[in-house]
Amino acid sequence: MAEVILKNVGKAYGQVVAVRDFNLTIADQEFVVLVGPSGCGKSTTLRMVAGLEEITSGVIAIGGKVVNELPPKDRDIAMVFQNYALYQHMSVRDNLAFGLRNRKVPEAEIDKQIAHAVKMLGIEPLLERRPRQLSGGQQQRVALGRCLVRNPKLFLFDEPLSNLDAQLRSQMRMELKELRKRVPTTSIYVTHDQVEAMTLGDRIVVMKDGLVQQVGTPLDLYRRPANRFVAGFIGSPAMNFIEVTASATESEAMIGAPGLSLSFAGQKAALLRAHAGKTVVMGVRPQHLLLDGADAAGLVRFAATLSASEQLGDQQLLDLRVGGAPIRVAGIDPALSLADGTELHLSAMPENVHFFDAADGHVLT
Amino acid sequence: MTSSERLAAPLDVVAPPRKGFFAALAPGGGKMLFALVVAGTAFLFAFPVLWLLLTALRPASGVFYVHRGTEFTLHNFVEVLQQESVFHAFVNSFAIATFATILSLGVTVTSGYMLSRFRGPVPSGWFAIIYVLRCVPYISWVLPLFFVTRQLGIFDSYWGLLLPHVAVHVCFFSWIMKGFFDGIDPSMEYAALIDGCTRWGAFFRVAMPAAVPGLTALAILCWLYTWNEFLFALMLTSHKTPILTVVMAQFVHELGMEWHLMSATAILALIPALIVTIFGQKYVIKGLRV
Repeated sequence: MAEVILKNVGKAYGQVVAVRDFNLTIADQEFVVLVGPSGCGKSTTLRMVAGLEEITSGVIAIGGKVVNELPPKDRDIAMVFQNYALYQHMSVRDNLAFGLRNRKVPEAEIDKQIAHAVKMLGIEPLLERRPRQLSGGQQQRVALGRCLVRNPKLFLFDEPLSNLDAQLRSQMRMELKELRKRVPTTSIYVTHDQVEAMTLGDRIVVMKDGLVQQVGTPLDLYRRPANRFVAGFIGSPAMNFIEVTASATESEAMIGAPGLSLSFAGQKAALLRAHAGKTVVMGVRPQHLLLDGADAAGLVRFAATLSASEQLGDQQLLDLRVGGAPIRVAGIDPALSLADGTELHLSAMPENVHFFDAADGHVLT
Repeated sequence: MTSSERLAAPLDVVAPPRKGFFAALAPGGGKMLFALVVAGTAFLFAFPVLWLLLTALRPASGVFYVHRGTEFTLHNFVEVLQQESVFHAFVNSFAIATFATILSLGVTVTSGYMLSRFRGPVPSGWFAIIYVLRCVPYISWVLPLFFVTRQLGIFDSYWGLLLPHVAVHVCFFSWIMKGFFDGIDPSMEYAALIDGCTRWGAFFRVAMPAAVPGLTALAILCWLYTWNEFLFALMLTSHKTPILTVVMAQFVHELGMEWHLMSATAILALIPALIVTIFGQKYVIKGLRV
């Protein structure tokens, strides 16, 4: 178990920069998720920690020891791959024992470690089988087992669940969480799935184009996104964005867009006053829009026209239009029946309304 | 209507499978046509071999009336086996095919692996070299090789034939080997690196075993190629190192053509190749499908 430090880590392939100036300190036993769209540099970062990619600049330390020049085998790490990467020509037992035998662990000890790991993962009956005789879920369990038996300082996960079907993925997600409680090793987990990131991570690192966008707890990222990208990436359905113009008089601060005019008080008013006359982007989550909030005080209210509704069984999603801009509302009572074209009154708590810079997308505070 | 009845209902309206053209024309006709095509193709390939066998079993007087005669003999086989050069040629061909296979696989496997896994000036340069050499027509190598082997003093020796064969194999089969390794997921090797292997360790203990079907296929192809090769053997060897394919051709000489003896030698030469093929065809098919 160990603390992991990445300091000014960068990776370039010739002229192409894959990761830029990555800084992160991962506490002992912490589970950090790197999340972002494909090509954002998250896998490259993980592979640099593993030693499978050379580092162009910066320092990586695992357990207080700089590992920049160490080959993967000497970093005391274990890694789970997206496509399991099991040794196809070996039985499950030999797959599990491979790493321990390389480290000259006595056979008796290997048997003990394997017995412990397979019991934890429920794969005892599979020990003598070959990987290709196993289902995807079973293969991923074996891959996890291969990491567990080694008892390394650091676990690395490279999109381990993305080859599984949706149902199995959510089951394995729960199992990973369970496993974490029993084996609280420091972990770095890479995924493009924000649900996995939110459910598994102690902290999440959101990346885009090789740059870290924000680091924080799942709730931090959800409630206080640092920029428009994070706001749109975290949360499902994605946050609504509308370009508006801020304006202010002596008594109130407002925003306006075609078909929309809202007035704010308090902290948001001060913010808008500072950007009066400029175009800003208003962001509000579909879950934070209420259909009937008329009686609560301090809400901002506006009208929108229903263009379509999507029935999900447990809830409805409504697609509406405000002026020309599309806006979504989530969490609507599934029994509610509304005709397309109906005018609805939406409201939101001012603290759930975010404003972003129209040019570079950073959050305005 | 109960719910189970309602669920069962859609199953009753599954459309019957559409009849194909042949099935409509003549029931079972499609299968018949397929069998005819297969039989025809098989006959096309088997006919020369059958003719060869028939010729080998005929006395010298009967080779031009193979299809009419009734006299058969094994004497031709006895006669060729008594010729020292034929026996020698058997041993030489077998040794050269085997050594060429071992030597070329040693180079081909590592070269194919490099082409598949590494980027940079060395792999690109190597790729360019074998690409260019591959583009050179095979026959145009013969004369330069003749002079080179004479110059090096290895003309008409094992090395004089082995080295050109290895060179050809490396150029031709590195590509196939690259294909085999491309089909093997590199993350298996990454896992091995993390599990405590060096780069070479990951290659030998994980990538190579995974490539065994491909390797076996290639070994068989290499062996058969050298065993059957004629042009290099003709030009680069002489009396000291007789090679089977050349010895076979020598039954055509200024005094006439001994078709019966040539056929007998050819049938004998088929046997090792047949054994190798029967033993290895499973791997060849498996390997080439990777």
